[in-house]
Amino acid sequence: MLSFLSLLLFHALIACALDPPAHASPDYHERLLLRPLPQDTLLATFNFRSNETAAAYEQQNFRLFPRSLGQILQHAHTKELHLRFSVGRWDADNWGQRPWYGAREGSNGVELWAWIEADSEAEAFARWLTLVNNLSGLFCASLNFIDATKTIRPVLSFEPEGDHADMSNLHLLHGILPHEVVCTENLTPFLKLLPCKGKAGISSLLDGHKLFDAAFQTMAIDVRPLCDTSGQECVVEMEQTVDMALDIARSKRPRDNPIPHPRPIEDIECDTSKSYNSPDTCYPLDKKTEPAWKLTHVFGKPLRGACPLTATEGPESETLCINTPPERTVQVNTTGQYTEWLSASDTLRCYKLPTGTELDLVLPEQHMTTGLVRGQPHLYAARSINGHGQERGSVQAVIKNPSPTDAVDFTYLESLPWFMKPYLHTLRAHVSTSSEDPLKETYYRPAIDRIRGTHLELRLVIPPASTLILNYDFEKAILRYTEYPPDANRGFDAPPAIIRILGPFQSADRKGLYLRTTPLLLSLPTPDFSMPYNVIILTSTVMALGFGNIFNLLVRRFVGADEVPAARGLKAIIQGQMQGVRARFGRAP
Amino acid sequence: MALDSRQKAALFAAAAAVRLLLFQAFPLLPDRLAGRVELSTPVSSFKRLQEGLYLYTHNVSPYDGGVYHHPPLLLPLFSLLPDASHHPFATNLLFTAIDLLSAHALARIADSGHAAATRLFQSPRQGLRWSTAAIAAGFLFNPFTLATCMARSTTTLTNLFILTAMAKACQGASATFLLAISAASYLAMHPILLFPPLLVLLYHTRNEKLQAAPNAWAFTAVHTLGLVLLCGTLLLVSAILAGSWDFLEATYGVRLLLPDLTPNVGLWWYFFTEMFDSFRDFFLGVFWLHVASYTPGLTIRLRTQPLFVATTLTGIFAIFTPYPSVADAALYLALVPLFRHLFPLMRYTFVASAAVLYASFLGPAFYHLWVYAGSGNANFFYAITLVWSLGLSILVGDSLFAALRDELDVQRPELRDKEVKRI
Repeated sequence: MLSFLSLLLFHALIACALDPPAHASPDYHERLLLRPLPQDTLLATFNFRSNETAAAYEQQNFRLFPRSLGQILQHAHTKELHLRFSVGRWDADNWGQRPWYGAREGSNGVELWAWIEADSEAEAFARWLTLVNNLSGLFCASLNFIDATKTIRPVLSFEPEGDHADMSNLHLLHGILPHEVVCTENLTPFLKLLPCKGKAGISSLLDGHKLFDAAFQTMAIDVRPLCDTSGQECVVEMEQTVDMALDIARSKRPRDNPIPHPRPIEDIECDTSKSYNSPDTCYPLDKKTEPAWKLTHVFGKPLRGACPLTATEGPESETLCINTPPERTVQVNTTGQYTEWLSASDTLRCYKLPTGTELDLVLPEQHMTTGLVRGQPHLYAARSINGHGQERGSVQAVIKNPSPTDAVDFTYLESLPWFMKPYLHTLRAHVSTSSEDPLKETYYRPAIDRIRGTHLELRLVIPPASTLILNYDFEKAILRYTEYPPDANRGFDAPPAIIRILGPFQSADRKGLYLRTTPLLLSLPTPDFSMPYNVIILTSTVMALGFGNIFNLLVRRFVGADEVPAARGLKAIIQGQMQGVRARFGRAP
Repeated sequence: MALDSRQKAALFAAAAAVRLLLFQAFPLLPDRLAGRVELSTPVSSFKRLQEGLYLYTHNVSPYDGGVYHHPPLLLPLFSLLPDASHHPFATNLLFTAIDLLSAHALARIADSGHAAATRLFQSPRQGLRWSTAAIAAGFLFNPFTLATCMARSTTTLTNLFILTAMAKACQGASATFLLAISAASYLAMHPILLFPPLLVLLYHTRNEKLQAAPNAWAFTAVHTLGLVLLCGTLLLVSAILAGSWDFLEATYGVRLLLPDLTPNVGLWWYFFTEMFDSFRDFFLGVFWLHVASYTPGLTIRLRTQPLFVATTLTGIFAIFTPYPSVADAALYLALVPLFRHLFPLMRYTFVASAAVLYASFLGPAFYHLWVYAGSGNANFFYAITLVWSLGLSILVGDSLFAALRDELDVQRPELRDKEVKRI
């Protein structure tokens, strides 16, 4: 067992280290924070922040703010923008509190929300479409598929992070693309927005192979206006964040031979207390040591020195930080000049990078007696689909409050596709420890087929040390056969639920405390795609049989069978025809 | 053979007891049945009605959403009842009462004897008929009717108004007839197609009653005006209740344009699932025209037997409307026994009943294979709906043949029991 040192909380630390007051002059900051997580995982948090004065931004005098994005935002009258590209799941049970308290995290796939200036809802929506179409081109993502069916207007779950002079004509619009596969083509435009463009500074570590191989990764872009206390000096701040939880063993695999090979059994420490333990059967014991790693291995690229645009002195110049217990050995490999800075509690070491030369951090395998205190999440949330079959089901969200003393007040936002039809009258919120109704407020906008999706927002209170179970039934619609994607039997993705904690916990800044569940995979009933013609023909045949029979009965006259000449087979028919032909030519038979 | 009151009380008590017993003994059965696609369509499902009620009582417009397609007047009616998911008894009682009232109306139709003998037409086989009790029992204990009642489908309400309209037309009660037919049309739209034959029936009965022919044109004009006024009033009240005219699109618009392709026993859903987008509107028009085309043809050809025309039309509704369910077939199968005198003339009763039985047993099984087991695909259930529709259309066509053959026996008695041909 590791004895825990009482150390600084990781998040309080990044919050104070990276959240300086707004500057009225353009500047640029970047910082990479590395933090080992349990189970040989490494959390890397990249943060890039640049400012532009509001006046320069309005005049399109861009220095650090990327021109491509700035012009799009101005064209679409977007005052505040939040864009997320995410893959994977944050394992809160093992890894603890989320980076940035979930405020820089997105739903699996792509998530976008923005405050757009417009006089009416229709105008706001038109500008929103302009925005998503432009961003789609800029980030090589299918953002243009965020249409009316995927757009909602959240009421409780989001607050603007920036300072807006006039909130009355700002419209919040929100869209999620859960099916979007985030990959390298989204990273390249992301890096191009940075002043050093991934050539120098901490961004030189970002590599698509490692980033998208991580167990959890999220790329965030946040643009917001910030003003000083007098409200006169304003800047437009752009923040780009990448969080990734890397499996150290996995990312150390060489790129040319990535297939993992089992270690020889002699090298594995076995649990000999297991009954099945034998020379060829082994239950591996947890290694008590921290694994060895170095930057070039886990990121696959060397760190190419400092970005020249960052500050050259002061705490802002230390752009690489590592959060480990003081006893951990950290070697710095570089030929250039670097400086090391240790925090008062010794859990944070920051390095000022040399300019123009590479730097590498090397951590050897080490047996540790102390560890870091992991922040406990405010809430745990899991959501799943219950029931079987492709006709209906129910969604169950299990939300757990680990705090023994505090009741947590939170909002729960669901944005469901129109073909998943929830029955709100079946919505039940049930708390394990009390009979009081935890549901305080409901906002519901039902879906309309092919026009808009469901928007469900709830405000709930969960008592201390209890579990809240939220349940509702839904029905699955059958779509027209052209509305199914090519892989229809894979199922359809339903976006994650977004939980925002309102109290009693408060974030130090205006970013808020968030939590997102995993997305859902919804299997819809599918028609047979191969037979539109057969269906048209068979249905028409049955209709023709019905109609033809009735029509025949209605328009024809009955006569006795002996009153008409009986047509006996083919011969009679031919004879009849011949008679007709002869009659026409005037010859009597 | 009018139904005496003791016999009637016993029959109705038994039917009510069976229903309430089933509701009480199997509390999960109603919800299971309400989830069956054969019994609940998007426009008649009880679960959707509950959702609409929930939204209505929570001040959200149920028509600003894609789930609720029932007409607005059902909302205040059902919001008077206690919540069916906690206290289902009142709802169960209501649906039992609806079935009993339908049976009562059916008994009145049977009592009137208009099935076999009208003012202008006397069937030569009119002595051949079943007792009113048997016909009412055939409706009340038909498994399709029972299942529909248990599923609490709102089609039962439509059926009640259709049967009441028929009964009132048989009795010559103009005002109540107009009320019933406009209520049925308001609930399900397509019953308005029953207005022409039932108006003819009403004309005959009024004629018999008054012993003097009213002016046919004035009679038609007055009643059509009455229908328009009553339907207009119902729609206006609905608009006031719903707060806007949005409900028209969510109720009748859905029936006309079929945006919800949830499977049902009819022919439309799979056809429009597989239809090419550019032809969708054309075929919607063709299909609706097809349904509407039977009314004038049948009414003109069989103007002497309007009750038979109305019955045949209910059969056609059970096959060719966009959202048919077993409940529509139950209505048709309840009316067919009125025409016992035609049974000897029917030729394909075995084929038709075998097809209907085959479809009713295999339908749920094939639906399960498609949606739950995954071992079949949509074609399995589609094939069954084809068989079901084919079975019913054979029955409709065959009974029409029998009616025309019966008519021929009056016109040309010398052809009785002889083979005939159509030319």
